[in-house]
Amino acid sequence: MSNNDAHTRQVILRSIVIGIFLIIACKVGYIQIIDTKYKRMAASNVLRYEVQYAPRGEVVDRNGEFIVQSKECYDLMVVWRDISKQGFDTMRLCSAADITKEKLVRELKNARMTPRAPHLIKNYVSQEAKLRFEEHSFPGFYTIKRTVRQYPRKIGGNLLGNLGEVNDNDIKRGGGEYKMGDYIGRSGLERAYEKYLRGKDGVKILERDAHGAIKASYMDGMFDTLPIPGKKITSTIDVRLQAFAEELMAGKIGAVVAIEPATGEILVMASSPTFDPDDMVGSDRGNNYMRMLNDPKKPMFNRAVQAKYPPGSTFKLVQGLVGLQEGVLTPANAYPCHGGYHYGSKKMGCHPHASPLDLRNAVAQSCNAYFCYVFRDIIEARKFTDVKEGLDKWVEYVKSFGYGRKLDSDFLDEQKGYVPDAAFYNRVYRGSWNSYTVLSLSIGQGELGCTPLQMANLAAIVANRGYYYIPHIVKAIEGQDSIDRRFYEKQYAMVDSKHFEPIVEGMWKGANIPGAGTSYRAYLPGWDVCGKTGTAQNPIGRDHSTFLSFAPKDNPKIAISVYVEHGGFGASAALPIASLLEEMYLTDTITRPQLVEQVKNLPYYLPARYQNVKKK
Amino acid sequence: MSRKNNQIPLFEGVDRVAIILYLLLVLSGLTCITSVSFEDATITDFFSFSRFHIKQAVWACIAAVMALCILLLDSRYYHMYAYYAYAVGVLLITGTIILPEALAPTLNGAKAWYSFGSFVVQPVEFTKITVALAVARLMSNYNYSIKRLGDLIHVGFIILLPLTIIILQNDTGSGVVLCSFIFVLYREGLNKWICIPAILVAALFIFSFLFTPLFLLMILILIFTFSNAMMIGQWKVHIIFLATIALCSFLLHTATSWFCAEALSGYACLVITVIAAAVFAAIYALRKNIAQIFLSLGLFLGSMLFVPTADKIFESVLQPHQKLRILSFLGIMSDPKGADYNVNQAKIAIGSGGLLGKGFMQGTQNKYFVPEKETDFIFCTVGEEWGFLGVLFVLGLLCALILRLMKMGERQEEPFGRIYSYCVASILLFHALVNIGMTVGLMPVMGIPLPFLSYGGSSLVAFTILVFIAIRLDASPRNGLMRMR
Repeated sequence: MSNNDAHTRQVILRSIVIGIFLIIACKVGYIQIIDTKYKRMAASNVLRYEVQYAPRGEVVDRNGEFIVQSKECYDLMVVWRDISKQGFDTMRLCSAADITKEKLVRELKNARMTPRAPHLIKNYVSQEAKLRFEEHSFPGFYTIKRTVRQYPRKIGGNLLGNLGEVNDNDIKRGGGEYKMGDYIGRSGLERAYEKYLRGKDGVKILERDAHGAIKASYMDGMFDTLPIPGKKITSTIDVRLQAFAEELMAGKIGAVVAIEPATGEILVMASSPTFDPDDMVGSDRGNNYMRMLNDPKKPMFNRAVQAKYPPGSTFKLVQGLVGLQEGVLTPANAYPCHGGYHYGSKKMGCHPHASPLDLRNAVAQSCNAYFCYVFRDIIEARKFTDVKEGLDKWVEYVKSFGYGRKLDSDFLDEQKGYVPDAAFYNRVYRGSWNSYTVLSLSIGQGELGCTPLQMANLAAIVANRGYYYIPHIVKAIEGQDSIDRRFYEKQYAMVDSKHFEPIVEGMWKGANIPGAGTSYRAYLPGWDVCGKTGTAQNPIGRDHSTFLSFAPKDNPKIAISVYVEHGGFGASAALPIASLLEEMYLTDTITRPQLVEQVKNLPYYLPARYQNVKKK
Repeated sequence: MSRKNNQIPLFEGVDRVAIILYLLLVLSGLTCITSVSFEDATITDFFSFSRFHIKQAVWACIAAVMALCILLLDSRYYHMYAYYAYAVGVLLITGTIILPEALAPTLNGAKAWYSFGSFVVQPVEFTKITVALAVARLMSNYNYSIKRLGDLIHVGFIILLPLTIIILQNDTGSGVVLCSFIFVLYREGLNKWICIPAILVAALFIFSFLFTPLFLLMILILIFTFSNAMMIGQWKVHIIFLATIALCSFLLHTATSWFCAEALSGYACLVITVIAAAVFAAIYALRKNIAQIFLSLGLFLGSMLFVPTADKIFESVLQPHQKLRILSFLGIMSDPKGADYNVNQAKIAIGSGGLLGKGFMQGTQNKYFVPEKETDFIFCTVGEEWGFLGVLFVLGLLCALILRLMKMGERQEEPFGRIYSYCVASILLFHALVNIGMTVGLMPVMGIPLPFLSYGGSSLVAFTILVFIAIRLDASPRNGLMRMR
């Protein structure tokens, strides 16, 4: 190797060494001086974001009484790496924070997986326990203030709904609104008005010093945000009435819905059996939830908006109104009834009453035969090419009364119910059917299914003589001038208001003239109650008892529907409940305590499917 | 000769600059280790033996004693016992594989340790020294010529034998260090057309995991432009033209990828650019009668083909577990938390330091977020607490020490000393490049320590011995060694 070559190689090697170090220096310089990304990331590494949970909005009833309140409670948290290395007094922590040693050990083991992240040890720590906990110092452990729901009157479990911890889906759907550990409304009012009730969590940014200890508030709290409490909501519910309704319905299965016809505000919505909303709060929530889930009576099923009941005779009101509107019926029309409506060799039975009857008396007496004639006349009218077209026209009418579709109320889990149309029967009977086939529709039986809310809405439509406001549960939201505009718009049924008078008179007659109808027990002196009983046959047990009513006749203040599953005649179970609630609402007094007792002690038999068959 | 009776003064001829650089590096390391070992605010005992910095200080004292011993020992012994040392070194690393787990435990997945009660030693650190000695001894023979194939194979065997054993230990990172001896071989006259493709293939394969093709293209153009210019000799004449070609081809690439983004794939743009650049360069070379440029161009084109091919083969032909095996064979560690968590945290720590750093013990990232903060990722502490100036200081120290070692080698008349010095320089260079490179994301993550700074007794003592033997050899009377034989 020549000297010259050796020299060249030396130079090349030297330049390679210098080159390598220059490249490294450039790269470090870029990271340290030019690119600010890493400084930001470093900041988020050393900062601890402590959530300041916003208290959830409270709910009051239409008279300002609290239905849902927020109570302080605490989450006990731990940051594993902040726990003192000398250990701590486990027993003392356990007794202070009401926690079993096993649970503490288990949670600490979990916390160890992510030593720097805050880890939840126990939620729903009471204020007393929190104060006890703070008397001692446990490095690494701290509490976060949260709020839980509290229900002063323990009513309206299904109506108010409950809260649950968010799951992955909620977080994904929320688009950054929710994080692990947050609560979200799972049903009822809590779910429907989640965005108002929730408020906005604040954040407190704490900075660690070089020893990892919390130094102080970052930048003197410049970037901290205060929690914005959830909005207070004024509900349309009347708690006294709601409580009374739940009391009367206790032990029975069914639902009560009462609406203020002039506004569509829901005064009462009781689904029975119900549950104590406090059961769905706190550490026993899971157990209670499972218990209710396995209860054959399904207490968490909000029957008021989700059940699909046959409306029974209450549906005759719709039948009469459609007949009048279609011109196939006049109030003076009278039809005979000899124990029912005979067609071919069959008979639609009816209870004994005078015959023939005109429309008013037919409504008051709830004559089955009368409305069979009406229904046949509607769907077999000459103007229709066949009965199918007639039925579809009829369906159109019925839907305008809110049946077979969602009313668009503020219950997100509201169900549609069911109104069968020609296509349905074509499918079932392969096209060969006639008005006799569907005759049970005339008295609100057959395939018809509707929710108690839809029935109460019918009462409101009749009370208003032809229109309704969408039923809703919220009257006002704090800080907002109005609620959703759809609740201010009149919704018209396809029947002119003039046709309502005979029907209303029939309902009035039944309740106010002794012996003229089925609902005289609903008579309230001076209040002109109008009512319509219903007794719906069903394949699984005793008849369902239902009653639909509004009062007073002119300028109605309350429209109500009561449905008691397997309650027998409409007049025996549903009517007294409705009547007592009307009296309570209109006069603030109960003059018939014996009726209250009677309702509470009503002999009541449930079919086997509601019995607790599971034996362990 | 007044020194006949072995009374050579201890520091006679010793290179003081190298020793000062060495001391500064060790002190820097101790400072950083002290800082990171104060992670927990609750412990106040500064002088506890459980602390890294105290342990490291003890190791530094042991290293100092070793250094003194080395300086006391006559330099000819290193020449004399080089092969024996080599044999011992190979036996030591073989022992870790053969011996049972109780004596040679598996740590961090590598069965490369001896355990003596409470502390462990990694023999590979010492094996590096013995390999360097053996290489120096072999290549300093009178009749040795690296240009002869037999001799080349001979030296290759000496390097590859321990390398294979180290890889069998599953400690690929340390094994690959021995590849850096190609640096020495090149200095001793290895044909550059063996060196360049070898380095290129290895580098491209590793870098194709780290960088995008565009970035690699830019790097390649730069490297080839400058290397070409330097090889031609009269580089000042040609460099402007070559730089123009480089710039043009880069601009061309940018333009094609902007305007033809829909019509052409990124790789097609690249190929167009390269062909255009190649045509320019070829015309220039023909006119100026430069033969070498064709070799360069060939390499350049070859590597342009190689990158996507390697990528494609790696992505499509290999099975996932085979990929993992290759990556771990290369010492590219699997990432437990995914998404380059470790490297990212290291970069965050360094990046948060800024120009001046946060100050001694004031770092937060290095303590709580960086993995292996006191060993493989100690450079993060330099970056965070000392800032860019501190980084330049440490880089400067390392660079100066390496250059100094090369200079010390060059000024010796005996090839033994020169080759050994170059071996030490190349080992240090490789360690510094890979270790710092991985903390700043220039290199894949391989678990090898940063010389003198990383915590670890074996590595500190071994690097001390490595460097001080070079200093000892350099301090010997310029004509002493060979005459005494």
